[in-house]
Amino acid sequence: MQFSSKKPGFEYLRKKWSARHRASQNRFWEKHGEALKQVAIGSLGGLMLLTPAKSLTVQTHLFASRDDVLKGYDKNVLLAESLSDKIPKDLSPLEKQEEMSIVETLSKSFGFKVTAQIDNIRLNRNFGLIGGEQHLLRYPGDNLYAHADTTVDWAKYGSAGMAPGLGAWGYFAPSKSEFTEIAKQREKYYLAIQTFLVPGYAENVAKYRDFFKFRKMLVVNPKTGQAVVAVIADAGPAEWTGKHLGGSPEVMDVLGLSEGLRQGPVLYFFIDDQSDQVPLGPVKVTEKLAKI
Amino acid sequence: MKYFYSHLIAIDSIIEELDEMDLSDEEKIHLGQLLDSSLHHTILDAILSQLSDSDKRAFMQCITEGNHDKIWKFLNEKTARVEDKIKKAAKDLKEELQEDIEEVHKLK
Repeated sequence: MQFSSKKPGFEYLRKKWSARHRASQNRFWEKHGEALKQVAIGSLGGLMLLTPAKSLTVQTHLFASRDDVLKGYDKNVLLAESLSDKIPKDLSPLEKQEEMSIVETLSKSFGFKVTAQIDNIRLNRNFGLIGGEQHLLRYPGDNLYAHADTTVDWAKYGSAGMAPGLGAWGYFAPSKSEFTEIAKQREKYYLAIQTFLVPGYAENVAKYRDFFKFRKMLVVNPKTGQAVVAVIADAGPAEWTGKHLGGSPEVMDVLGLSEGLRQGPVLYFFIDDQSDQVPLGPVKVTEKLAKI
Repeated sequence: MKYFYSHLIAIDSIIEELDEMDLSDEEKIHLGQLLDSSLHHTILDAILSQLSDSDKRAFMQCITEGNHDKIWKFLNEKTARVEDKIKKAAKDLKEELQEDIEEVHKLK
């Protein structure tokens, strides 16, 4: 998508930074192009931000769009198709038979065990309305700008803002120096779940708190098949909101729900991953799905 | 998106300055892509300038595989003080970009 802006500040930076970008591209390819000739062009395409200076212009590559909201498509669309006759037409909780069928489909699709119940604990529901949450403070002194690895991260996720309070389990790390990659991923891909509505929660607060702390879950947008593995890091939303769970800005983006009202119906189940093999983040349907 | 050098380049300050500007989401993404890609080319240029032609190709192969540990193992074997060079390249570019932002403030 190409667009124009009448804001002089933006126009100034756009022109200046486009020129700088072209200069950095040209410098790179002039100095190293000969040596990299033998690297397969397909491999270069996989280098994300590294663009050939002449064959792919700045304009075609960099003029921004939110088209990447569709990036979770491809084989996951087949999953959406297979789920279409399994989920209720409204947002009512799943019937037992529906739940079993969906759990089986999701487990086969993603190649790991998806389940509605672990250790006799199950959520109040597994199909509901997810709403966009804010970023969470990860360690004392954390700020919104530090959440972004790249400027595009900030552009895409920064506007969600920072929640005024801490997540359900407090900070993700006691200090910045003890902040690990795992803790970073947990905040990036976190869910707020209505744990307080789980049957038996009031009678077993300590046990359930330990169970839910960073519990790994699969969330699927049944309309598109876009899916993400995330952890429970907060309690909510309140019942009066009409929503049933919340997702971090990155979770909402992966699910294709980061635009507009930032909400939509999703399926959400536990992942039985005792050996911690399933990574957090976007998840693609495996080849097996086509046979379901 | 995290790159193998993300932990070495603090972009908080430049993001904070962009955040103070009146920009739409599309404008933020547009400038963000220009900035990130310029940084990427600049940093890779700084690294490749330390390598022989055959090592350049091997390094690019490491990048396409996306294994950050492997990338750093390779760089630590083939180069000296590469982290300092990455930091310096990023710092120099960021200073230029920050000067551009300061120019924007003068437009008002």
